[in-house]
Amino acid sequence: MRHFDLRLLAASSLVLVGLAHAARRPQYGGTLHVAIASTPSSLDPAALGQLDAVTCRNLSSLLFDTLVTMDDFGRIRPALALNWQAHPGNQRWQFRLRPGVAFDDGSLLTPGAVAASLRAGNPNWTIYALDDSIAIELNSPDPSLAAELTLPKNSIVKRLPGKVSGTGPFRVSDWQPAKKLVVAASEDYWGGRPFVNSVEITLGTSARDQMMLRELGKADLIEIAPEQARRTAMEGRRVSESAALELVALVFTHQQPSPEDQKLLDALALSVDRASIKNVLLQGGGDPAGGILPNWITGYEFLFSTEFNMVAAQQRRAEVPYAPAWTLSCDPADSLSRLIAERLALKAKDAGMTIRPISTGIGDLRLVRTSLVSVNPRVALTQVTAALGLPPPGLSGDNLEELYKSESALLESHRIIPLFHLPVNYGLSPAVKNWGEKRTGAWDLGEVWLGTEKP
Amino acid sequence: MFNLLGRFSRFVLSLLLLSFLLGPAARASDWSDPEQQLAQKITAITGPGAVSLDLVNRSSLSQADIDGIRSTLRNQLSAAGLTLVNPDQAAATVQVSLSENLQSYVWVARIQQGTNQPAIEIVSVPRVEPGTPLREPAVLLIRKIQLWSQEDPILDVAVIDSSPPHVIVLDPNKIAMHALEDGQWQLEQAFQVPHSRPWPRDLRGRLVLRKDHLVDAYLPGIFCSSAPGAALNLSCRESDDPWPLASEQVTLNGFFSPTRNFFTGALAPGIGQERTVPPFYSAAPIPREKYVLWVLTGIDGQVREVDGVNVQTLSRPGWGSDMASTKTSCGSGSQVLVSSNSDGATPDTVRAYEFPDREPVPVSQPVELGGRITSLWTESSGSTAVVVSRNWETGKYEAFRLTIACGQ
Repeated sequence: MRHFDLRLLAASSLVLVGLAHAARRPQYGGTLHVAIASTPSSLDPAALGQLDAVTCRNLSSLLFDTLVTMDDFGRIRPALALNWQAHPGNQRWQFRLRPGVAFDDGSLLTPGAVAASLRAGNPNWTIYALDDSIAIELNSPDPSLAAELTLPKNSIVKRLPGKVSGTGPFRVSDWQPAKKLVVAASEDYWGGRPFVNSVEITLGTSARDQMMLRELGKADLIEIAPEQARRTAMEGRRVSESAALELVALVFTHQQPSPEDQKLLDALALSVDRASIKNVLLQGGGDPAGGILPNWITGYEFLFSTEFNMVAAQQRRAEVPYAPAWTLSCDPADSLSRLIAERLALKAKDAGMTIRPISTGIGDLRLVRTSLVSVNPRVALTQVTAALGLPPPGLSGDNLEELYKSESALLESHRIIPLFHLPVNYGLSPAVKNWGEKRTGAWDLGEVWLGTEKP
Repeated sequence: MFNLLGRFSRFVLSLLLLSFLLGPAARASDWSDPEQQLAQKITAITGPGAVSLDLVNRSSLSQADIDGIRSTLRNQLSAAGLTLVNPDQAAATVQVSLSENLQSYVWVARIQQGTNQPAIEIVSVPRVEPGTPLREPAVLLIRKIQLWSQEDPILDVAVIDSSPPHVIVLDPNKIAMHALEDGQWQLEQAFQVPHSRPWPRDLRGRLVLRKDHLVDAYLPGIFCSSAPGAALNLSCRESDDPWPLASEQVTLNGFFSPTRNFFTGALAPGIGQERTVPPFYSAAPIPREKYVLWVLTGIDGQVREVDGVNVQTLSRPGWGSDMASTKTSCGSGSQVLVSSNSDGATPDTVRAYEFPDREPVPVSQPVELGGRITSLWTESSGSTAVVVSRNWETGKYEAFRLTIACGQ
């Protein structure tokens, strides 16, 4: 009975997945058709950062590699770096590069090119190009540097005027910004030529159109909203589900909540009926969140309360004589966020507060959705606070107790009320083989192959 | 004969020892360090006095482990001067939660003293690898003995019946020989496998033990061979030499694509008149009185039976791509182990089949692996096979020897 939770996690994903992989060996050839909603205007991973973290990583991984990668168990694995070493104190790290790797323009991957790429995204690092390796010196110790290097922003990119070049498994064959991206298998990819010949990605496709393309057999891979996943799977369609890694939260936009604000935010947190939102709005998907990071990443999230207690909420509210009306903003294009915002406002009213959802501008409160792109808790917490404009967690060690204290301090600052952790879902055609379910929702399209089943 | 039996017994004992050493998860885990740490942290906060202790499991630990941890924690706290009492009599309440994350067990103590903010203490312990359940089938039995486990992909494993026992492990980077010394596997030799072009995905490779030298290793476009003698003194070269398709007893070789994951279909010397067949992933011989029937799993999903005169196509949607033949003293004396074409919701399996005529007949229950099968080869002896699968829970690659035993 070991690893019960993880097995449940795997099983819950795989039940929905259907034909995730089989003992049939992969076949080469074919074009994988993908439709997504995002509309990137550049392929540079630095610019892709404007997209949500999961899409950014998935698009970036087609064309670019990082020095190291992280597997589904949080272990660091070699990629463009064959091996690495942290000097005592974790302030200087050295990475030995894989020899013989080439960018898609034919030039060789050199320590100088790697150093230049990393310097662009990390101005605070001092990076040395050595004979066959690079050394990174940091201002302060960072035991998680290797995990940080797995982030898409640290992809190794050769930037030329008007063009970016990578070492990834695919090469660009057609790029129409915000409309269409076609990539072809790189025959000489150091990790082995991808099984499919090409991937054609239609950008800016609405959820409805994605579903239609899938139904017509014109898309093999589409995005599915968390609240649609269960129904889609029950209709017999193939759905892939990651672990719950997208944080839905309320962020208080004022920098320093006053003592009165804190009491009102306590009351608001107690008035959130997560169970009801999960059942009704999320159609049973996602996990109620008390912490910023989910329990499967930290192991301690259960310590943070998700209690719904309207009486306690009303009592806390009553401690403040005058409660201002707060506005609550969310992404107007995101129907799920709008519905959750309305539900929160309704319950807050029961607690004696006035929360007014708005569709434009930034409110006193923001309903945010942000994906955790790393399963390393330290990197994930740093990344999510940066994405939400919260103060950095200020971690120095690699210790779970310190992480807990940092996360507790963030929650006690009253700047954020976690609501849910949602999975990332994809709809897959029966022809997609070896999908390789990932907890992080990451694509590994180099490993995917196309079977002969007709959709 | 006695010598042979002696060798066989020693070999079986070695394998059992090997299995024992590689399957530590079957034994009770040692939690003494984290138990002691947590007890010390709790005591440092409460000091001596009356406390209540409640333990909640939020992890995948077994009930036996949980009971053991609870008992030891109670003893350690008592030994540190705490008196364990009911909550209504306690000066402090301690709730210990046994949780977990991806890499660790996370034990959390929540200590409440009066109306103060509760104190939180955390101890983390690296996770222990799980064991793999063994399912007992009927009719013929497929026995599964774990040979090796590692994070890097395993392409093949060869077991050398020597004293001490040795295993050779082929992975994408190296060929490594390990010896069992004082109950521990020690790396004796490791050779990098040179290759000028990237390996294809779904990389395959095969080890074949030889009589006149230790071992040959076949990889796409690369052939490695050891020098005469018992040492693993290897030399590798780029080569399109065909790979042996079965054991040394049945000589048929197939050319393997240097940039793909399948045999091209070109055979040496051929099956009767047939010098080429459609490209295939694996092949298994079934000896007949006057000829050998070959069963091939094609890359088109078809299973083909080739006898040198006719090629017959079977549709076996439940079959995977990998097969391995075994010669045994059970049933017809020749079985083919076939991987499943699983639906991804369940781990892959291997099942034994016999071919009384041309129709395959299952003769064992499927034996379950811990995840997706990545390799299945007949061992050099011809009587057993090595299967490699990637464990879903740990992500590690695990190699098992599959042996067919006669049923009751």
